[in-house]
Amino acid sequence: MGTLSSSLSIATQAMLAEQDAISVTANNIANVNTPGYTRETTEMVEAPPIEYGGYVFGGGVQAGQITSQRNNVLQLRLDDETQQQGQYNSFLSSMQQVQTLFNETSGSGLQSSLSGFFNSLQQLSTNPSDLTLRQAVLTAAQNLAQSFNSTSANLTQLQNNIDLSVRQDVNQVNGLTSQIATLNQQIASAENLGQAPNTLVDQREQLVNQLAGLIGVSEIAASDGSITLTTTNGVSLVVGNQSYQLSTHPNGTNGFQDVYAGSADITSSITGGSLAGEIQARDQGIPSVLSSLDALAASLSTSMNSVNKAGTDLNGNPGGNFFTPPPAGGVGAASAMSVAISDPSQIAASLDGTAGDNSNVNAMIALQNQGIVNGQTPMNAYSSLIFQIGNTVSTAQTELQASQAISQQLQDQIGSVSGVSINEEAANLVQYERAYQAAAQVAGIVSSLTATAINLGQTTTVS
Amino acid sequence: MISRPNPNIIPDLLYTLGNVQQDQQTTTEEIATGRSVNNLSDNPAVAAMIVNNNALSSQNDQFLANVSDLQSKFQVGDSALSSAIQLMTTAISVGTEGANGTLSVSERQALGAQITGIQQQMLSLANTSYQGTYLFSGTVVTTQPFAEDASSPSGVSYGGNSGVTSVEISTGQSMKTNVPGDQVFTNSSGNVFQALNDLANALNSGNGIEAANTEVQQAFNELNTQRVFYGNALSQVQSQESFLNQDQVNLSQQQTDLAGVNMAQAISNSSQEQIAQEALLNVTGQVLNLPTLLNYLK
Repeated sequence: MGTLSSSLSIATQAMLAEQDAISVTANNIANVNTPGYTRETTEMVEAPPIEYGGYVFGGGVQAGQITSQRNNVLQLRLDDETQQQGQYNSFLSSMQQVQTLFNETSGSGLQSSLSGFFNSLQQLSTNPSDLTLRQAVLTAAQNLAQSFNSTSANLTQLQNNIDLSVRQDVNQVNGLTSQIATLNQQIASAENLGQAPNTLVDQREQLVNQLAGLIGVSEIAASDGSITLTTTNGVSLVVGNQSYQLSTHPNGTNGFQDVYAGSADITSSITGGSLAGEIQARDQGIPSVLSSLDALAASLSTSMNSVNKAGTDLNGNPGGNFFTPPPAGGVGAASAMSVAISDPSQIAASLDGTAGDNSNVNAMIALQNQGIVNGQTPMNAYSSLIFQIGNTVSTAQTELQASQAISQQLQDQIGSVSGVSINEEAANLVQYERAYQAAAQVAGIVSSLTATAINLGQTTTVS
Repeated sequence: MISRPNPNIIPDLLYTLGNVQQDQQTTTEEIATGRSVNNLSDNPAVAAMIVNNNALSSQNDQFLANVSDLQSKFQVGDSALSSAIQLMTTAISVGTEGANGTLSVSERQALGAQITGIQQQMLSLANTSYQGTYLFSGTVVTTQPFAEDASSPSGVSYGGNSGVTSVEISTGQSMKTNVPGDQVFTNSSGNVFQALNDLANALNSGNGIEAANTEVQQAFNELNTQRVFYGNALSQVQSQESFLNQDQVNLSQQQTDLAGVNMAQAISNSSQEQIAQEALLNVTGQVLNLPTLLNYLK
C-alpha cells in the first residue's frame, strides 16, 4: 500500500528531475551560438519500484545521464575533409601567388621580354653594322635576363615565406596536441568518476578539428574516453595524456625546414592539412615552375652563346659568349642569367667577317623557331609553362570548391544532430515546466491529504 | 520520421552568399577588363594560346617595322638606279650624236667631256648610301664601293664584295635586301663604267664610237635588268605590308575570340547575379528575423 510520504517523495523527486532538465535546456539555449557546442539532452528514467504489502509501486522519476547529441562518424569525416581542405587551401594560396608572377593575360609577363629580345635581333638584321641597333639588342637582352632574374627571385622569396609558414604551423600543431593531451587526461578522470565530460569532449573535438586543418591525423578512441592521435602514416602525436612534439630542422640540400617526429624526418609523408599543402607548394609546385624557367633560360643562353661564337663581331674578332654561361645542369640558370658582353660591337652578327653580313643574326633569330628547349621552341616552352601553372591553380580551385561543398554538407549533417534549436528547446521548456507544475500540484495535494489525516476527527488545527 | 534539420542555417546562407559574390566579382572583373581570362587559371589552355598569340602579334609588329625600313631602303636604291638609267639614256644620245661623221673634233671631244661628266655622276650614284651604309658594296657596307682608279680599264675600282643579305619579313619567309655593286655597275653582261669610259675615249679619239655605243646600250640594258630587283622588291614589301596588316587584324580578332568578353552576356550575367544576391540577402534577413517559439510563450 502506497503512503502519503512516498507520494510526496515521488512528487519532490519529479520536481528535481524536471529542474535538472530545465537547467540542461537553459544551458543549451545559452550556448546556441557557441562554436563546437553539442546540444545536451536529459534522460528521464523511472526510479526503482517499491514493493510493499505484496504490491509493487512505481518509484517516480529521476534525471539520468545528461548526454551530448553527437555523431562521431560524422565528426571523423569532417576532420578528414578539413584535412583535405587545409591542404588544398594552402597549396592554392601559394600557387595563386605564383600565378600572379606570370601576368600574361594582360600581356605584361616574360613573353614580352622574350619577344622584345628576338624583335631587337630582327631589327638588327636590317642593318647589322648599326651601333644603335646593336645597343638595342643588348638592352633587350638585359631586360630579358632581368625578367628571368626577378621572376626566379620572386619564386624563391615565395618559397622562403612558405617555409616560415611551415615552422609556424609546426608550432601550432605542438600547441594543439599539448592541449588535447591535457583534455584527454581530464576526460579520462571524469569518466573514471562516472561523470559525463561533455564540455571537455566538445573542446577536444574543436581542437582536433583545428589540428586536422594543419596536419593529416588519424583518431583512435580509447575505453577511458581519451583519444590517440597519429599522423596519417602512423606517427604518434597524442597518446592518452602524453603529446609528442614535432620539430623542424633545415634540410642540408635546399635549406628549407624539414618536419621531424623525434629523429624521424616525416616531411614527405605528411598528407593532409595546411602543412601538406605548404610542403607540396614549396617542394614540388614552385620547384617545378623554377625548373621550367631554368631550362628555358639555360637553353636560350647556351644556344645564343653557341651561335654568337660561330660568328664574327664588328671588330672582326670571333664572337664569344653572349650570355654568361648557365650553371652546369641548368639549375639556377634563370636567377643567374646575365648578358656577358657590354660592348655592342661584340655581337657577332656576321659570318663572313664583313660589317654588312647579317647571316649570323639570322641564325640567332632562327633560334626562336627551333626546338632548343627540350624539343620545344622557346615561346612554346614558355606557353607550356603558363598552361602548367594555370592548370595547377585551376585544378586546386576545383578540388578546394568540392571539398568546401562536402565540408559544408557535413557541417549541416552534424548541425542536424548536434545543433541547438531554439524552438525545440522552447517546446522542451514548456514540457518540463508543465511537468514541474504538475509535480508541485501533486505535492500540494499530498500535503493537503496529510493535513486531513493529521486533523482526523478533530476541529481543523492543521491546514 | 523526418530527419531533424540543421537549426543553424546561417553558415549555409553565408556559404551560398559567398559563392554568389564570388561569381559576381568574376563577372565584374570581366566587364572591367573586357577579358574573360584574367587569371591563368580562368582558362589555362586559352592563357597559353594568348602567350603565343601575343608573341606572334609582337613579331608581326617587328616584321612591319622591317618591311617599312626595307621599303625606304629599296626606294633609295631604286631612285639611284632610276637616275643611273637616265644618265645612260643621256649617254646613248650623246654617243649617237658622236657617231655622226659631220662633227668636228672639238665638237666630238666636247661630247667626250660630257660622257666623262656622266661617268662622275654615275660614280656618285654607285656610292649611294642609306642610313650610313653603302647600298652597292655587297656586305662591306662601311667601305665606299666604287673609287676612281686610273689604272683600271673602266676608270674605277670596286671595293665592295658580292655578298648578299636577306631579312625575314614573315615567319619562315626572307627576302634579299641588296644587289652588290659589281652585279649592278660592273656586270660582265654590261659594265656601266667600262662602257662610259670606252665611249668617252672613243669620242675623244674618234675611233670605235659605234662599238662603244653598243657597249653603252648593253650596259643600259643590264642596268634596267638589275633595276628589276628593286621594282620587284618594292612590290613584294608593299604586298607583304598589306598581308602583315591583315594578319595583325586576324591576330587581334583571334585574341578577342580567345579571351574577349561577350559584353551583352556578361552584363546580363551580372544583372542576374545581382538579383540572386539581393534575393538571398532578403531571405537571409527574413530568416534571421523569424520569431521563435519563445516569442509566443507567456
